[in-house]
Formats: sequence, C-alpha cells, structure tokens
Amino acid sequence: MDTVKAQQWLIGIFSVLLIVSLLIVAGVEMKKSRSFKPEIDVNETTAKCINCHEKKGVAVKLIDEWKESQHAVQGIGCLECHEAKEGDFDAFRCPESEFLIGKHPNPNDCAKCHEDQVKEFANSKHAVAQVMMALKGPDRNVFEPTLSTKHGCEQCHNIGNYWPDGAIGECDACHSKHRFSIAQARRPETCGECHIGPDHPHIEIYLESKHGNLYSTFASEWDWNYDPGQPVPFNAPTCATCHMSATSTGQKSTHNVSERLSWESQAPFSVRTQKYWGGLTWQEKQKNMLAVCYQCHSKSFADRYILTADLVNLQYNEIWKATIDWMKRLRKRGVIATTEFAFAGQNITAWPKEGYDEEVEQEAYRNWHHEGRRFRHGAMMMGADYTQWHGIWELQENLVKIIEYGAEHGVPEARAWRNSKDPNKFVKLYPLYDIPGSTWGPSALAFRGNMPMDRLKNYWEVVYQNVKTAYEKGLLTDEQWQLYTKLYENREKEIGRVYELPPIHEEYLQNLRIDLKELYPQQKLQLRKFE
Amino acid sequence: MKLKDWILERFPIDFQKFVEINERIFIKEPIPLHMKKWFYCMGATPLILFGFQLVTGILLTFYFVPSPEMAYESVRHITEDVRFGFWIRGIHRWGSNLMIIALLLHMTRVFFTRAYQKPREINWMIGVALFMLTLTFAFTGYSLTYNQLSYWATTVGTNMIREVPLVGEWLFLFLRGGEDVSANTLTRFYTIHIGFLPPILILLIALHILILRIQGVSEPEGYPKGHYSFYPHHFYKIIIATLFLLTLLTTLSVIYPPGLGEPANPAVTPPHIKPEWYFFPVYRFLKLVPLRVGIFSVALFLVGMTFWPFIEPWIAREKRRRIVLGYVVGSLVLISTLALTFWETVEM
Repeated sequence: MDTVKAQQWLIGIFSVLLIVSLLIVAGVEMKKSRSFKPEIDVNETTAKCINCHEKKGVAVKLIDEWKESQHAVQGIGCLECHEAKEGDFDAFRCPESEFLIGKHPNPNDCAKCHEDQVKEFANSKHAVAQVMMALKGPDRNVFEPTLSTKHGCEQCHNIGNYWPDGAIGECDACHSKHRFSIAQARRPETCGECHIGPDHPHIEIYLESKHGNLYSTFASEWDWNYDPGQPVPFNAPTCATCHMSATSTGQKSTHNVSERLSWESQAPFSVRTQKYWGGLTWQEKQKNMLAVCYQCHSKSFADRYILTADLVNLQYNEIWKATIDWMKRLRKRGVIATTEFAFAGQNITAWPKEGYDEEVEQEAYRNWHHEGRRFRHGAMMMGADYTQWHGIWELQENLVKIIEYGAEHGVPEARAWRNSKDPNKFVKLYPLYDIPGSTWGPSALAFRGNMPMDRLKNYWEVVYQNVKTAYEKGLLTDEQWQLYTKLYENREKEIGRVYELPPIHEEYLQNLRIDLKELYPQQKLQLRKFE
Repeated sequence: MKLKDWILERFPIDFQKFVEINERIFIKEPIPLHMKKWFYCMGATPLILFGFQLVTGILLTFYFVPSPEMAYESVRHITEDVRFGFWIRGIHRWGSNLMIIALLLHMTRVFFTRAYQKPREINWMIGVALFMLTLTFAFTGYSLTYNQLSYWATTVGTNMIREVPLVGEWLFLFLRGGEDVSANTLTRFYTIHIGFLPPILILLIALHILILRIQGVSEPEGYPKGHYSFYPHHFYKIIIATLFLLTLLTTLSVIYPPGLGEPANPAVTPPHIKPEWYFFPVYRFLKLVPLRVGIFSVALFLVGMTFWPFIEPWIAREKRRRIVLGYVVGSLVLISTLALTFWETVEM
C-alpha cells in the first residue's frame, strides 16, 4: 500500500473511531452527571451471595435495602459483616457455598469500622437495658407469664443484648438492617418504637410539646441526611438532637445517650447520675444538655426551665417516699400482706416477691413505673399534659386510693387523714418544693386565688428550706441555687401579685358568671322520659 | 442619501480598496483542491464550536454566581427556571465536549498528513497550545458547576498539579487560593475561565489562522494540484457545518442534557472520584504508575508532542522512514488514548 492510501485509511479509521467512541464516552458521562444515585461497586463475594439469594428468593428485600445503604456505596458487602470463624456462636456453613456465615452480626462486627460509636454506646444506659430488665423484679418474673414478655419488654430491652461473644448491644435497634439509615435513626419515631406507652411515653410527650409541634409541621422540609457530626440543621429539636447530636454551641455528636442526662429518672427514686455513665459528673452532663437548649433559647429561660424540672424530680421523690411510707403503715397494721423486695441494700416496697396480687401494690408500682415517670419526664420535656393529668393527678389518685384502702380496713392514721376536712391535708402529705413564678413569663393573675401560699403563712420559708436542703446535699448546682435565691428574693414580683389586673378582667368575670349561673338555668330542658 | 454614502462621509476610507482587500483575503482565498472533500476541510470546526462557546458562555454569565453558596443553585436556576436556560447550558457543555473531539480529529488529520512539516512547525506548536488551553477551559468550566463530581474532580485535579516539578506547589496554591478548594478557588477558576483564557485563545487562534494564511494551506501529497476560491464553495461548507453542529448540539442537549448532580459537599468524599472524560487517558495512566513517574511521563509526552515537527526529522532522516514513523507513533498514541479512555469509562 502506498503511503498516501495508508494515510487516508489511518485518518478515516481514526476519525470514525474518535467520533463514535468519544461521543459514546461523552454521552455515558453526561448521563452519569444527571444521576443522583451513586454507583454501587459489588465485589465478587457479594455478587455471589446476592445472585444466589435472589435466585432462591431468600431475604431478597433485605438485599434491596442493602443496595440503598451507604454500606453498598462504600463497598461494604455481605461477608464484611457476616463473616464468621469456626466455633463462633452464630456460625453456620452456607449450604450453597463454602462461606462460613455469622448469623447475628453484632456490635463487635460494627466496631470494625464504627469503633467510636460502639464504644460510646457501650458506656450508655442503652447498653444496660437488658440488665435492668433481667433484675429479679416481680413484674416480669412473677406477675407476668414469661412467654408474654418475649415479644413484650424483651423486644425493646434487647437494645442492650448480651451476646455470647461478649458484645453488648444491638445497633440495628435504631439503624434498621440492612439499610442502616442515618435518616431513620434520627427520626423521633425510631426512638418512639420503645419510648412509648404508659410507662415512659416519651414520643407522646415530645409530640405534645412545642418541639414536637414544630417537628410535625416542618419535618418534611428537613434534610434528614445532613452530614454526620454537624450541628442539626432543623428549626426544632428531635430526640436525637438533645440526647446525641452535635450542637452549634460546641457539643460533639455521641452515641452515648447518657452524656447529657443529669438525672436517673426512670428509677423508683430520681438520683443524680454518677460519672461512670458518660464519663462525666452530673453537673457536666447538665451543662451539656443546656448547651443544646442554648442553641435556640436564652440562658435565662433554659436555666429556669431546667431548675423547675429538677425540682419536679425532687418533688417526685417525696411523693414516692410517701407512697412507700403508707404501704409500710398498711403492712404494719396487717391490712396488706405485701413483702418487700430487697435489692442493692434497699427494701423496695413496690416489688413484692409474690407479685402484684393486691390492688394497692399495683397502685404503688404505677406511682413509680408509670405515673411517676410521666410526671418527671413530662416536666423535663415540655409535656404539660403528661406532667399534669397523666402525671401528678394520677400520682395523687393512687396515693389517695392506698390511704383510702387503709381507712376502709381500720388503719387509724389513714382514717384520720381521710376524714379530715383540712384544705391543707394534701399539702401535708409529703414535703413540698416550689419555685416563685413561671418560666414562661410573669403573669398578673396566674398565682392569685386560694393557693397553699395563701393558706400557709410560712409556705415560702418551708419550701425555700427544702430547696436549700437539696442544694446542700449536692442535688442542685451552685448556679441553680443562685438562680433560685434570686427568684426567691424577688418572689413578690415573680408571683405577679404586685401587678394590677387589667380592666377587662372584671368584664371577663361578669360574663363567666353569666356562663355559669344564668345560661344553664335558661337553657335547661324539661324532657319526658319513658315511665 | 444612501447609507453607504452616509457612512463613507464619516469614515472616509477607500471603499474600493477595502473591497479589493476583502476579495483578496477572504473571497478569493486560495483553497487547495483536496479540500473539496469533506474529509479534509473541517479544520474550522473547533473555531465554529468556540464561537458557540463564546455566545452561550456570555449568556450563562448573566445568571451564574461564582460563590460556593450560589454556584450550584444558580446552575440549577439556569437549567430549571430560566427560559431556554437548559438549551444554552446544554450547548455550552456539549460544545466543550465536541470542541475537544473536533480538536482531536483536526490534530489526527494534521498529524497523519504531516502538515506540521517545515516551515509549519510553529503553527503546529500553536495548535498544541490551543489544545492545552481548550482542556484548561474545560477543566475550569467543569469546576464551576460546583456539584459533588465537579468539586472532587477539581480537588483531585489541583492535587495533581501540585506534583508538577518546580512550579507545582506554587501553581497549586495559586489556583486554589489556599490549601483547600474554597470560595477562592471558585472565583479564581471563574476569572480564568471567562476573563483570562478567552483573550489568549482568541489571540492564538488569530495567530494560527494568520500563519495558515501566510503559508497557505498545506497540500498533502498524492492529490491533484490547484486551487479554488474560498467563496462560495468553502464558505458554504462552513455555514453547513455550523448549522449541522448547532443541530447536533441541540439534539445532544435534548437527549443527554447535562445534569446537576448533588451539591458539592467538602465533608463527604464520594466513593468514585473522576475527572471529565477527556482527562481519562491521563487519569487512568496516573493510576497505573507511581504518581511522580506518571506526571513526569505526561510532561515528557507533552514536550514530545509540542516539538514533534523537530523530533521527527531528528529520529528519521530518510523520507519514507519518517512517514512510517509518523504513522506508527500517531496510531500508537491514538490507540492508547482510546484504550485508556474506555478503561476508565467502564471502571467503577
């Protein structure tokens, strides 16, 4: 071939090749530029698992979930988590391949990549959820048949599962397998899977609060996949925001939900938490939590809110003490046959070893386990209805029922209390805490009327003394005590009685009188009924 | 009064002379006979595409905002909200792609017809510079969309520049405007893309054409000798090519419109970072060898390509051997370019 012909062929071939192939490459790349979905790089082993599982129709949906996960994007395939060694508690030989499969990947497996998160979790109260359930409490062990608890309390308390290989916890309690979505774990509904119901209705309390209201309104606009470790870009907090997420005020994100909890308030007695959990003193934990609040709230508001909620916790302790004292009186008089359950050197009257075979025992139990928690947690999390009607009202009801039972069965103290017409009889049931005024702002009206502070001359001196005792015992911080003292000294203004009522107040009262006294007689109907 | 007279009164130039010059330089520009074939007459394609880039680029600057907060959003606005924005952006993006393909085709033809031979060596070198400038255009332009892919391509691209011996570190800091790809990088790339590169490119194109005109179009051997006038034959060919390219660009923009991708996120490194496809050969090659060796080899290749008109006669003195050497080297370079491009395309 002469060089001219060769030249023409070379130019022709390469021109066609360049045009066709580079246009294809450019087209492919341009198409990729429109794709939001990352490419998934499936390694050979994973491809083998997926092909076989899909062919046999085994757990195909879970594979689909994995395909949507960051694991898939990052090239974390099946064996990376499911690989087992001979002798592992969960090892089984895949019948279709040579692989030894670990049936239950657990935090030990997750820690291969997520070491910090697993460590943080292991130091949190989540890690001891199963320990708490496995105590010798008469509720699960005596009162309820074991079968019922398997899909009951165990289902949630397994978040702190003790695996045979020493691993503790269950990461997929929050990050459902196999997608392990960060967005899902951030949703309040995920926490609400367990933190729900009469004993700790946290999701209900949250949804009732202003925080929850904002969540209901704006959640669809929020970017639930914001970068891990960044301050939350939402206009209201979720559960994770307060207990786990990074803040613009310097808090780092954590998987240790105990790092910001200054109260152990699920227990029969609210106690300030110890350093073991979260590696911080309770004062430091309180600071951490307040740092979350300060992102949106002023310091003065948040500090006062938390101080009031702390006093609610202390108040609960007094109610619980009173509950136990009355149970003891009733037992001493032979009215009830409850026995005490000894745990850690404490006799806990609400844990009878024979189970809850008497109604008053159940009421006492609920005063801690149900109503007592609702009262405390409602106050901590802005759940007004849970502090009020599902909280203190029912606590008082239960206490009255216990005393009433004693009165009916001839216990003189109970009978004397029941028969008393003293309007201060409830105030005298247990020691009181109080804080002048309201966190929500001063009111000229809210604290007028026939209140205990009106009926008892030394009311403020006594409650002041009680708060002081709590402070001196180390249950309030210096800063909190200073704030309390300031409010106490300024109590006339805080209570708001120094302010004049607005002129319209009289008009309101007049019309309310009409509502109550005139409208009903006017609108009352005389109807016939069947004889 | 006629408009012509009105103008001539204000600009008293020798109109007849102007017509003569125009006829001599443009209308009757002698075009060699071999260029009657479509195969040989497409050297103006990159210029036509550059024209499109210029027009669409200016239109894009009406809406584009070169800041990390607004870049992605303004590209989205252009693509989704502005009337015909998707079309203008599509033509600009596809135009850059086609311009590179057209340059490769042009260079392939020039190389195999050995049009770089004495006395046209300098014009070949200007051509290589134009090709490099076009790639710089593409690199800086791609980064402006500020999505995940472009952000990380910019990061990796500038990292590579750092490895260039002697000036690498300085160039790296100059381009990024600091250690990280940041607001500084974006404004610098924008300024380079719309302010610095266009005049240089226009100047070099003018020089390229001027030299071409002075020396005349190179005539490959083996074709009948003779010339015909630029107008009308070649002129209409260029018009047809322009209309065809506009149609092609529009079609491509409709079938494969450029996407927006995910907004750039400096905190999240995507699993697969890739530059734009025209850097695939270099990118794949750099993955195959140690980085410094790779950079050195690429630099050596560029030097070789630039000075090829001088290297070729130095290697092979005899004419036929020289021709065969050109065919072999050209074929090897093109085959390996295509192979590396495909490899990187299919590789995840």
